[in-house]
Amino acid sequence: MVQFLIKRFIGLIFVIIGVTFITFILGYFAPGDPIRGLLGNHFSLQLYNELRRSYGLDVPWYQQYWNYLVNLAHFNFGYSFKQQGYPVWNILAEGVPVSAELGFWALTIQVVVGVPLGIYSALKANTWIDTTNMGVMLILFSIPSFVLAVFFQVFITWIDQSTGAGWPVAGWGNNWQYTWTDIQYKLGPILVLSAIGMATFARLARTSMLEVLRQDYVRTARAKGMREQVVVYRHALRNALIPLVTVIGLSFGLIITGAFFVENIFNIPGIAQISISSITDRDYPVIQATVVLLAVAVVLGNLLSDILYTVVDPRIKVG
Amino acid sequence: MDTPKKNAELQNQSMMMVNAPINPELIDITDGVMQIPLTSDGATMQGREPPKKSLTPLQDSLRRLRRDKRAMVSLGFIIAFILIPIFGPFIYQHIGGPYNSPINGVVGPSLYHNPFHLESTRQDELPSAQYWLGTDSVGRDQLARLMQGMLISLTVALLVEVVDVGLGVTVGVLAGYYGGWIDQLLARFTDIMFAFPGLLFAILLTGIFGQEVDTSLANVPIIGPNGNARLALVSLALAFTAWPLMARYVRGQTLQLKEQQFVEAARTSGTRNTRIILRHIVPNLFSIVVVASTLNIAGTVIGEAGLSLLGLGVQQPGSSLGLMISDASSSLNVHPFEVLLPSIVLTIIVLAFSFLGDGLRDAFDPRSKD
Repeated sequence: MVQFLIKRFIGLIFVIIGVTFITFILGYFAPGDPIRGLLGNHFSLQLYNELRRSYGLDVPWYQQYWNYLVNLAHFNFGYSFKQQGYPVWNILAEGVPVSAELGFWALTIQVVVGVPLGIYSALKANTWIDTTNMGVMLILFSIPSFVLAVFFQVFITWIDQSTGAGWPVAGWGNNWQYTWTDIQYKLGPILVLSAIGMATFARLARTSMLEVLRQDYVRTARAKGMREQVVVYRHALRNALIPLVTVIGLSFGLIITGAFFVENIFNIPGIAQISISSITDRDYPVIQATVVLLAVAVVLGNLLSDILYTVVDPRIKVG
Repeated sequence: MDTPKKNAELQNQSMMMVNAPINPELIDITDGVMQIPLTSDGATMQGREPPKKSLTPLQDSLRRLRRDKRAMVSLGFIIAFILIPIFGPFIYQHIGGPYNSPINGVVGPSLYHNPFHLESTRQDELPSAQYWLGTDSVGRDQLARLMQGMLISLTVALLVEVVDVGLGVTVGVLAGYYGGWIDQLLARFTDIMFAFPGLLFAILLTGIFGQEVDTSLANVPIIGPNGNARLALVSLALAFTAWPLMARYVRGQTLQLKEQQFVEAARTSGTRNTRIILRHIVPNLFSIVVVASTLNIAGTVIGEAGLSLLGLGVQQPGSSLGLMISDASSSLNVHPFEVLLPSIVLTIIVLAFSFLGDGLRDAFDPRSKD
């Protein structure tokens, strides 16, 4: 187990170095001089050099990258170009709680709704229930999140106009607070974001359950005359759930890419929205920080699900 | 981890099943003509038509695909998606009489059915005889813009697939067949690319280099004008994130094929590696490449629309399905039709490719369906 963890951890570091290198090198070769962009048209050479040094841009690229890595290791993401001297850390701190809340609820709903749907579908395999359910899931799986968000918004405005309910179409309430107004704001984005991954969970849960139901020990249990409920819930279900643990890592990535569109369309001030606005502002330190943060979240998600996988299924050989 | 190995085994078995020749007698029975099993001496063969030629695996797969209604309907939509944006504008721009515009004087259909032409007095209209699908918030013809947007999706999908298949198959085959450093490199590279959610990389690339590409390519004909300059960048980014997955699929398939007897036989008889790869391995990758690239097109179309929606793809006055959605989303409560139209078209395209991809997978590998 320890050996496995060490191995995975080395892999993790390797991936993080790769990700940071890609983001750094893209930012380094980005066209235009960010300092000139900061200063505008009129400035003195002395001021220019001073600023350049304070942002650490006066050293060669490999040294810049090294400094960047060292700073990252100290959770120092540098300073924003747009808001001069304002630490990127503070900008991230405003967005992360919002996105974390959105992602947390989306993931929870995915698992809580998606997995039972898939299991139920497997138990009713090849009936109309199964076909309809899986058809809906395939459609949810294929539709882009932003189209789903737009459909939801049109639906809400239609309800607002026909009933006079003042349901908000965009925005975000207070973090981690659930008064009625907050829920009105949050329900839409969370549902839309959870819809995509829900389909992934449901489809995999169905496949996994079907596979388990075909196993010999299930047949044996039935042959022994055990009640169907016991066979399904004691013998089959537990084993069917094991492979789903790995999907949690996968859905991290889905949620993060989905969040870009959901936050954009519902105008939620989360990390993805910050990333997009920093791209239009050409605020490279913020862009790099958000990308690294999101990529690391994905990698950690994958690692977490791998570890969980070995914990729940001791048959898996480690290392 | 046993799962990949197990999957590989399963795939292997099912692949062999597909490749197994279909027993002609079985086909006769399914066709409703009962036959007495024949003996090999040929005596009973007399007075009877020669047995049906057995189908090749490809013919068999296509037959299975033709029976899949959902896949065939999707194929119909896909053909429409290819034909409409290519031929539609030429036809549409010749339909309709001259229109006396208060701003532009008398204009013909070639102008008011142009996706970039503004009629500022005809904003936010619903479908009419002149504007078949209405106009947008600045008075541009929605059908013309829709067709232009579909053309953009089609172009990007084509570009991305060319790179995806070319690079993915080359690297995948080399990594699978030779192993060694190229395999190691591919594995490390895909690890990094999988950690990067694909769209995130595309957002990063288009965001950082977008303006530069806009200015430097603005004067290049065809790709430069009408805000399409960034499409090159969008395609590059999407292809770059797509090919590692294709390479992984191809690598897996190559690893299995390498162990097959026909490859071993070829090697024993002294066939050179390049010849084995080109004649024995690559043709057998057909099904997996077709399925993977069909499914990837759905992702690519979403990616292009998404990037344009975020303002990182096609720029004004150009048109793209994503740009149409973002243009119309600000007046969503007043003119829901304008935002629903591109959304529904995009949904249909994406669903069609997903369904066809699913159908192709089931047709090539009937055991994958359970």
